[in-house]
Amino acid sequence: MHSWRSRFAIRGAIGLVVVSAMVGACGGGTATEVPPGEQTGSLTVLDWSGYDAEDFWADFKATYPNVDVAFEFGISDADIYGKMKAGSQADIFHPYTGWLQFYVDEGLVAEIDTSKLTNWDAVPDSFKAIGQFDGKQYFIPWDWGFTSILYRTDKVEGEIDSWSALMDEAYDGHISMWDDGPAAVTVSSYIHGYDETAITEDQLAAIKQEWTDQASLNIAYWAAESDLVPLMQSGDAWVAYAWQGAYATLLGEGVPVAYADPKEGRNSWVGVYGISAASENHDLALKFLDQKLGELTGNNLVSLYYYGSANGDVMAGITDETLKEAFSVDDPSILENTNFTPNLTAEQRDAWTAMWAEVKASQ
Amino acid sequence: MILARRAGAPRDARSADPRRRTFWALALPPALALAVLLVAPLLFMAALSVRTDLSGTLLAPFAPTLKHYAQFLATPGFIRSLGISTLTALGVAAAATALAYPLAYFLAFRAGRRAAFYLVLLLVPFWTSYLLRVMAWKLMLGGEGAINSVLMWTGIVDEPISALLYNRGAVVVTLVYVWIPFAALPILAALGRVDVRLHDAAADLYATPFQQFRRVTLPLSLPGVIAAFLMVFIPTVGEYVTPLLVGGTSGTMYGNIIQDFFTRAANWPYGSALAMVMLAGTLVLVAVGLRLVSPRRLLDR
Amino acid sequence: MPVGRRPRRRLLGGYFWLVVALLYLPIAILFVFSINANNTLSFPLEGFTLAWYERLFETPALLRAVRNSLGVAIWSSLAATALGAMVAILLSRFEFRGKGALTGLAVMPLIVPYVVLGVALLVLFRAFGVPLSLVTVGLAHTIVALPYTTLIILARLVGSDAQLEEASMDLGASYPATLRLVVLPIAAPALLSAWVTAFTVSFDEFALALFLAGREPTFPVYLYGQLRFATTLPVLIATAVLLMLSTLTLILVTERIRRR
Repeated sequence: MHSWRSRFAIRGAIGLVVVSAMVGACGGGTATEVPPGEQTGSLTVLDWSGYDAEDFWADFKATYPNVDVAFEFGISDADIYGKMKAGSQADIFHPYTGWLQFYVDEGLVAEIDTSKLTNWDAVPDSFKAIGQFDGKQYFIPWDWGFTSILYRTDKVEGEIDSWSALMDEAYDGHISMWDDGPAAVTVSSYIHGYDETAITEDQLAAIKQEWTDQASLNIAYWAAESDLVPLMQSGDAWVAYAWQGAYATLLGEGVPVAYADPKEGRNSWVGVYGISAASENHDLALKFLDQKLGELTGNNLVSLYYYGSANGDVMAGITDETLKEAFSVDDPSILENTNFTPNLTAEQRDAWTAMWAEVKASQ
Repeated sequence: MILARRAGAPRDARSADPRRRTFWALALPPALALAVLLVAPLLFMAALSVRTDLSGTLLAPFAPTLKHYAQFLATPGFIRSLGISTLTALGVAAAATALAYPLAYFLAFRAGRRAAFYLVLLLVPFWTSYLLRVMAWKLMLGGEGAINSVLMWTGIVDEPISALLYNRGAVVVTLVYVWIPFAALPILAALGRVDVRLHDAAADLYATPFQQFRRVTLPLSLPGVIAAFLMVFIPTVGEYVTPLLVGGTSGTMYGNIIQDFFTRAANWPYGSALAMVMLAGTLVLVAVGLRLVSPRRLLDR
Repeated sequence: MPVGRRPRRRLLGGYFWLVVALLYLPIAILFVFSINANNTLSFPLEGFTLAWYERLFETPALLRAVRNSLGVAIWSSLAATALGAMVAILLSRFEFRGKGALTGLAVMPLIVPYVVLGVALLVLFRAFGVPLSLVTVGLAHTIVALPYTTLIILARLVGSDAQLEEASMDLGASYPATLRLVVLPIAAPALLSAWVTAFTVSFDEFALALFLAGREPTFPVYLYGQLRFATTLPVLIATAVLLMLSTLTLILVTERIRRR
């Protein structure tokens, strides 16, 4: 049906093989590499819905216009992990902190040679470290953000300064928590000072009870920001666990909201890209990852979709006031008081998600 | 009974039956489709349900374990959820079928030649994204939505009614609302078997309209009613989209739990075990129910 | 004609139109928002505009997704109707040993959660090297629509019409000819119902399409992806409304033609 496409792919693959052979023979010189404008081939990216927009890979599109990029979709980290396990044809995938260890353990992700990345220096070291395991770089950080409590300033008296606001009966029927077990464990850890990486069985049982009691205080759980924004906008929800994307969106809509700075510290997450160990387009995929870190892409990410970019130069160049507020660009102390999501082990993942399922079923 | 079968007519696929070749032509395509697209996945699901976890190569041999089934039995919340979801599904199916019957009757006997048009008219809204339609409903039913605004403005209530949305009741009402047009279809199909002259004959014999309905129309339409009930009941047990959209925290159904184990927990084995339990339970319930209602009604022997 | 009929006709008709009104109410709301400048589904309304419809036609990815959905829905519904008719005929006209099993299997896709079916088909397709595409989505849609088509056609075929078939064969027609000339015409309204139902099941189906679609998304998958970032909502609403209006116009026109 699309024989011309497969012809391109074959040509691209042959081209890559020839080039690699020549490069190998010449000892790694770049003189014989195909110029970017003429590079052909195809890539498949397993990404979250919405990230297929060209804004999010604008640099790659501009530099390698003849490469065909197609997207497969996943709706959550668990979904993406499952699809990779099932043998997805994707060359590249996009997981988030917390779920990264599994790909390394299961041999699903390939090691990355960062010397081939031209934009690598723009990435802060703390972000680089997120994609490293056993001293090897497996993932490229790309997008990041905060998690904190979002609340309607016209419905809530005073300021919210603690994660325990999510359990506060004063907001009965107007709270919205993210539908995620590990997130619930994280919040409880912040409130009670547990060590997130070493939750005991007793602690887990207490957490389960806590969230079982909390469940009836919610108006509804939210699964994606597109659920949360209408809930807060309509006034059904007054207090919510939220990423700053929702905060910026609501600010933009003129809804009176504030993003808390809890005493226990905000949570921060980082989205990364990795190359599938089964990919046959490793070098091309690497170029894609490199271009993902480009400035145009980073600026689009920040200004259009309100997520932070791993490219430090992009973040330093933000001028929009709404965004500066959302990212606390002018208040670097916030980043110091932020807890990054640690990676789950398989046992923790199973235990915490089962706990959450029981919380939901108990209603 | 004027519609009785002719005695002695050969009806099965014995060698004397000239329809044998047609039988195989009719049987092979569905059998193939079902084997590849249903039976194989089901076997895979069953295999998954006795697998410890997702680690390792998926299609390699592994040591089976019943621990997921054991864990299900040890979790009263899940058992309770399955029970409530089943009861909810029974209620939704009964309500949808009952409310669909007048629709089917109207289309079969009152709509005349416009029946096909009216039928398509009923189904066309379902080609609009369900997500968007529910969004529009939520606009009406939410705390600051249209209905509550009107009620508050006219002074009927002082505070917005929160009971319209984000609870189990909202799930039930939405499900019934969504299923009514579909439930009408098998009933309509069955009513197509009713010759209108039967109605006239009944009237000639001085039957009241109610008697005519009870003794002629209803019995003939029963296979359609049963088909409609099954068509609504079976998928509703495992329903997850509507509870997710309008159920809030109290409207969670068993289907959500299964869904979550796949898409939020990457715990396919546990999710498969839960799905197998639901499958087995529903099949048993349907088999028992069909036997109770009438062993031969569905296939009208 | 018995006197009791006339009030009941009005009652039945009124009930029908009430249901129709309730079904179309959310669509009317969506229509209102599709011609308003609001970015989100909330009041107050911000002024009339046709910009969303303009932008709809300028979004090739969106148009392609709609086209994909239409293609998948048409083919899978035809296949499901054909297979459903075959199963219905087998169950209502033949006696054979696997009858209970066939009934159970034909109905079973109703019980299997789509996420389980999607995962299983994904793994199996990949294990056999079958690339994911709209074809794989179509196959999945066919099998999940099969119970609906089977049940609807079966409800029509059970019982009495076997007499006509026997008469036809007595008169020398082969069974295939009988099926074609006697059974199918009688079952035609049910076939139409079944086909429209199968189309409906496929067109808005999301879970299986998400697992099995590969590089080309269907409209529900595309829509869900766009919803993630709320700014694209109005164009999506405009698309849904436009699809609805085109379909309504189509069937209204068909009805007008038929009536002439």
